[in-house]
Amino acid sequence: MSVSNLLENWSEFRHTHPVDDKGYPDWEAYPSDIKWAMAIDLDACTGCNACSVACYAENNLPVVGKEKYSHGQAMHWMRIERYWDENDSGFQADQGARFLPMMCQQCEAAPCETVCPVGATNHTEDGLNSQIYNRCIGSRYCSANCPYKVRYFNWYNYPEQENAWPAPLNQQLNPDLTVRTKGVMEKCTFCKQRTYTARNNAKTEGRPVQDSDVQTACQEACPTGAITFGNLHNPESQVAKQWQSQQVDLIKDVQEKDEKEGNRLRGYRILEELRPYPSVMYLERVRESAV
Amino acid sequence: MGKDIREDIAWAQINKDVLKSLESPRKLYWVIIVIALLVFSVGIGCEVYQYNTGMGVANMDNPHVWGLYIASFIFWIGMSHSGTLLSAILHLMHADWRKPIYRFAEAMTTFSLLTAGLFVAVHLGRLWQVYYALPYPSERWVWPNFQSPLLWDAMAIFTYLSSSILFLYIGSIPDLAICRDNIHQGWRKKLYTLLALGWEGTDRQWRNFRVTYLTIACFLIPLAVSVHSIVASDFAMSQQPGWHVTSFPPYFVAGALYSGCAAIITLFIILRYVFRVEEYMTLPILKKTVRLTFAIAMVWTYLNCIEFASVWYSHDQVAKDVLIQKATGPYAPFWWAMIFCGSVVPFAMMVKKWQTNIPVMFAVSLLLNLGMWLERWMIVAPTFAHGYYPWTWDHDQWPSLIQWGIVFGSFGWFTLLFMVFCKIVPSVSMYEVKEMVYHRSLAKKKEEQAVKEELAVKGAN
Amino acid sequence: MTENDFNRRDFLKVLGWGGAAVALSGCGNTSIQDGQETVTSYVTLPSFVVPSISNYFNSTCAQCDAGCNIMGRVREGRVLKAEGNPNSPINRGRMCGLGQSGVQAHYNPDRVREPLLRTGDKGETLTWDKALGLISEKLNGTKGAEIAFVTGGMSGHVQALLGNYMDALGSKNHFSYEAISPAVLRAANKKAYGMSMPRYRIDKAKVVVSFGADFLGAWISPVHFSQQYAQFRKGTRPEGRGVLVQIEPKMTLTGANADRWIAVRPGTEGVLALGIINVLGKAGISIPADIAAVSKEYTAERTSKETDVSAEQIEKLAALLKERTPSLVLAGSAAEGYAHGSQNAAAIALLNRVLGNVGKTVEASASVPFPQIAPTVGNRSSLNALNDGLAAGKYKVVFSYGVNPVFSAPASMKFKDNFAKADFKVAFAHYMDETALAADLILPLDSAMEDWATVVPEYMAAPEGAGSNAYAQMSFRQPMMEKVFPDTRGVGDILLALLKQRKADEYKPFDDFYSYLRNAVLKNKVALGGKAGDDDEVFWNETLSKGIVPFKGIAGSVSAKASAAGLKLPAAADADPSYPLRLIPAVSASMRDGRNANEPWLQESPDPLTTSVWDSWVEINPKTAAKLGIVEGDIVEIASRSGSIKTQAYLFPGIHPDAVSVPVGYGHDAMGRYARGVGANVFGMLDAVYDKETGELALNETSVKISKTGQRVIIVKEEGPAGGSQAGKQKIAVQVSADKVDLSKEV
Repeated sequence: MSVSNLLENWSEFRHTHPVDDKGYPDWEAYPSDIKWAMAIDLDACTGCNACSVACYAENNLPVVGKEKYSHGQAMHWMRIERYWDENDSGFQADQGARFLPMMCQQCEAAPCETVCPVGATNHTEDGLNSQIYNRCIGSRYCSANCPYKVRYFNWYNYPEQENAWPAPLNQQLNPDLTVRTKGVMEKCTFCKQRTYTARNNAKTEGRPVQDSDVQTACQEACPTGAITFGNLHNPESQVAKQWQSQQVDLIKDVQEKDEKEGNRLRGYRILEELRPYPSVMYLERVRESAV
Repeated sequence: MGKDIREDIAWAQINKDVLKSLESPRKLYWVIIVIALLVFSVGIGCEVYQYNTGMGVANMDNPHVWGLYIASFIFWIGMSHSGTLLSAILHLMHADWRKPIYRFAEAMTTFSLLTAGLFVAVHLGRLWQVYYALPYPSERWVWPNFQSPLLWDAMAIFTYLSSSILFLYIGSIPDLAICRDNIHQGWRKKLYTLLALGWEGTDRQWRNFRVTYLTIACFLIPLAVSVHSIVASDFAMSQQPGWHVTSFPPYFVAGALYSGCAAIITLFIILRYVFRVEEYMTLPILKKTVRLTFAIAMVWTYLNCIEFASVWYSHDQVAKDVLIQKATGPYAPFWWAMIFCGSVVPFAMMVKKWQTNIPVMFAVSLLLNLGMWLERWMIVAPTFAHGYYPWTWDHDQWPSLIQWGIVFGSFGWFTLLFMVFCKIVPSVSMYEVKEMVYHRSLAKKKEEQAVKEELAVKGAN
Repeated sequence: MTENDFNRRDFLKVLGWGGAAVALSGCGNTSIQDGQETVTSYVTLPSFVVPSISNYFNSTCAQCDAGCNIMGRVREGRVLKAEGNPNSPINRGRMCGLGQSGVQAHYNPDRVREPLLRTGDKGETLTWDKALGLISEKLNGTKGAEIAFVTGGMSGHVQALLGNYMDALGSKNHFSYEAISPAVLRAANKKAYGMSMPRYRIDKAKVVVSFGADFLGAWISPVHFSQQYAQFRKGTRPEGRGVLVQIEPKMTLTGANADRWIAVRPGTEGVLALGIINVLGKAGISIPADIAAVSKEYTAERTSKETDVSAEQIEKLAALLKERTPSLVLAGSAAEGYAHGSQNAAAIALLNRVLGNVGKTVEASASVPFPQIAPTVGNRSSLNALNDGLAAGKYKVVFSYGVNPVFSAPASMKFKDNFAKADFKVAFAHYMDETALAADLILPLDSAMEDWATVVPEYMAAPEGAGSNAYAQMSFRQPMMEKVFPDTRGVGDILLALLKQRKADEYKPFDDFYSYLRNAVLKNKVALGGKAGDDDEVFWNETLSKGIVPFKGIAGSVSAKASAAGLKLPAAADADPSYPLRLIPAVSASMRDGRNANEPWLQESPDPLTTSVWDSWVEINPKTAAKLGIVEGDIVEIASRSGSIKTQAYLFPGIHPDAVSVPVGYGHDAMGRYARGVGANVFGMLDAVYDKETGELALNETSVKISKTGQRVIIVKEEGPAGGSQAGKQKIAVQVSADKVDLSKEV
């Protein structure tokens, strides 16, 4: 019984990866009518860090303190990267800095998923890359294989670290999700607690999920509205429209923008040549050359 | 060059000599045991601290999620390979010079696998949940992920470990019987009686023994090759630059044999002194081992060059950067030390005079081992420090003392197991040495006969 | 009925509507329903509480003075997270990281938990009754002129109570102090546009030229401006994607987002503005004669020489401004922190007049018809006044609320010593910060999530549409949960209790600040958008649930008559060879003036530009650093004539080679576990140079020298050794030139 179940599950598991060889997103074969995706407009992003702090507040991320931060053990699921122009002389950054919010890209063919020995990281049917904390044994293979390095390991028992949540700071913890113990991997979940509530509510009301049902914490906070989040499967959603208008295709590893010269698009996905098929589209930062 | 095993040595003398090694080793033996215990307890202390506090004390981070534990894991797995090489492959090839040394090489296989297993445990963030990685039918029908190279690893190593234990044990049965017959009191007698499984040395027993031994040997060879190929696929199957290399499996296997042979030289030199078995572990055997090691060293060097070349001529700029960074970045001293120890030092083994020079070979073998350990580290760490994503590049993530302490402790654990084993089970295979002596004396007799005949013919002429 | 009339006026004043230009509803229920709204037992849950389902309560953020409207997410009696109120014209549902961290101020383990009295070096706890009694005792026999009250910027009914209390004490010594304030800007705006805080319309401008206004980071109302900025950057806007040019010696967050960041020599912003006017004139823009008279000597060449900005760049900028209108020119703190800061700001304001932006992108805002609740804005000159009084021994009893002058005053003011001269210092304190430590009596405050208040923002963002120049709003701050520490009190409650000591009769009807506030709001129902006949209870609940009370303000109008009369910019002074560098104290979006330093999220969220955490740093241009032999991580000593600090060096391409920059807000030696000992306090070493017109401390006028101490550390920061380089080959953070993309069809 158990073994046949294993085999059945296995074939099902293989099936849930929607990237197939038809050459277009086969939504018919997709296991659910939801595929969460994001679009981040780097021209609107100011690098202000509001999303990152909102993520700390929403997702019970511990503050690790200076010493652990210095060892690279910070737990920011959403980190803001700051890049300088390569052609600068190094003395003057004439066109400012480039900011990039980076979090789990929720890849459709996620490199992290295949390598986990215990299957603690899985693909959900709504297209997320989930992490089952209870199942995780902490081999950290997923992080080793993540091209974006967006997985964060609980190097310590943070909830019990002296300065993570000393009482009464612990009262702020969001009861919709756990605090993670030492030895497990964690990462951005696209605010799973929110998407699940939205799905359930929509289901109860017998209607599909709409954009107005759910926002991720980072999206909600973003002072410039640079982040769009929603169901890519629903052509009416803002995120689907954005992907569509930028001609970014979930299942392609080279997008229109890079394939043809002069098409005046700016949607791209990071490291897509590695074919993880990430669910986050970035829009290039625009800079005026006239001044 | 020293003398080889005397062909005229009496079988009873062999028994006597070898059994003596179980009773009264040199004082150095006890010194080694005590040091090993101390070293091991350092490791234990560090691990207890790490277990209780969290992996952070090893000073790993994002992206440096793997550290010396994985490097040492590969190193110890690698060490295990030469035991199989010596006992199984050379057995099939009828290389009789292996006979006095294969027993301890096999023991080395088993114990280095046990040590490698420790590193799996030490590495896991949640050791207490390690059984999740086993494919047991749970009430929720939750299985491990059969796609994961780590799971293949676990299975391969488990199979390899159980087979090598079996191989070691079965190969020792005739000797255990000798021990049983020659030792008359104490717990040892009981132990040997139990372990010898009623071995009497009948023809039937010998025939079955030979068949079994040969079968396991045949089974073990592909297993050994596959184990390290699978360990290699932990890396080769991943997508990371510097790891995603097709030639990794043979490269790993060569490296494994290499480090194993180097370790055999080291242990050979130690054992022959400590257990006073100079008469059996003779210098000509050392010489052969050294030559074998040199050959493997060259294979390894060649594969290394292949790896560099294939990276260099590929279009994968990121992998190329990792290689450049290995040679010029913060890891450069270690990387060049690895090249030096792994590819330059072996040329010392070409010098005939040195091939049997104990101090020189001892030093060389240690350097080779160091080189091979560094190789593993240089596979693991630089890729983390210089992966696909420049924002997370990291130059400063050096292992903490805790991490070093555990690695250090593993040597104590290995030495302890090994030394205790050698005190309990004869580290020189008595029956095979007898066989060897017999074959040799036969050959010698034949030779003498031939000479005599020749002389007779000459005389006749 | 004269007596009644008098009472009525008096009563209005008590309630904070005194001097109202808007009619109050004459009659109505004035009785107070005491005791009806008390704590609800959770054994029988209120109908709106469902376990595991969150309720949202509208309130107002207290983390800075912008007054963003927020919603507190409350579950099972605990507030978990703050989110933006989507109906707010200020933040339109958005929030910054600083605001998000408000919950950490609320739950902070280092809050003061009970009243404390210091006698000598010892402290003891005491009851509220005793504490308030002690104040009464100390005030008896003290003349009004001997009492001073120092606060930050204030508004709303707490301010009304404070004003009434000061009146009751007969004191006129209310000092409103802000360590970082746009005081120079207010004065310059008043002159140039006729109002101190007009509304800027970044969203309507095609080009924004900002002289050091960090409107995305820490300037006035950053979340509001970020909203405008988002509109400004949209290619689908009729005006097309806007172009942002930032002119400042130290790159701010706004500078980092500019299309062109121009490093100007510190202090020459006004010169550059006049230079641009000069070039614009040559390009055919008509320049009013008074302005032309001033700008004519600032040719592109001369301007370039003085400002270190290339003539070509100035011409390009002028061409852009000429071609794309309307534009918007902003003057920010970087341009104003000089002895001639007002002159700089005035020169910059001229650009808006020349370009015809006034009325288009600089719009009028309303003023608040109720002077008692209208915002009192803080500045640094008031601290000088307080300090002078303290030094002269004029004040015997000093109250402080919401400010930390002991931390943020320059050492040369000797504020701490002067503060000690007062006989009795009362600190209304959230944390045991430096000022609280120097006080005699410390009264623990409720957090902003436990307390009642009304807030009237200084920068009056208005919804789109007609009448926006008469839009004013009052926002509610309401408790979202029970007190975390039972023995803290709201500032309104304390003031009410103190007032009762003086004017027991007038304030007797109000049991607590809540009843006072409710009464005050209901009293003015009509002006606040209700109808006279509305049920009080319904109106009150609706108002509270909205959290925002729009009301009709006094419509303002902006004048486009910014005059160049009297404008005289000093020639750039040669640097003093012993102090060759200009120190620019940087105000970061999260740390601001340091009042929130004990919120760990803010300490751990990297500075956007340097990515440094948990410490302060000094930004040095790599060129300058090379000259001085400084590499990243060197601990350097930065010495001015007035003091010195030691901190780590960070080589930063976003700073003029003549300047160095250290963030303010770090270097607390008190306050709490997360703030104490983190970084160095740059306030202390500032030279006492003041803006000539407003008397405001000129923050950027400190000249320093830098020397290595020989120590070196690894800077704890988010950035890796690649140092913000993308290694040249991968598409990660990609930038594209505006002419290579078509933004008009994006969705």
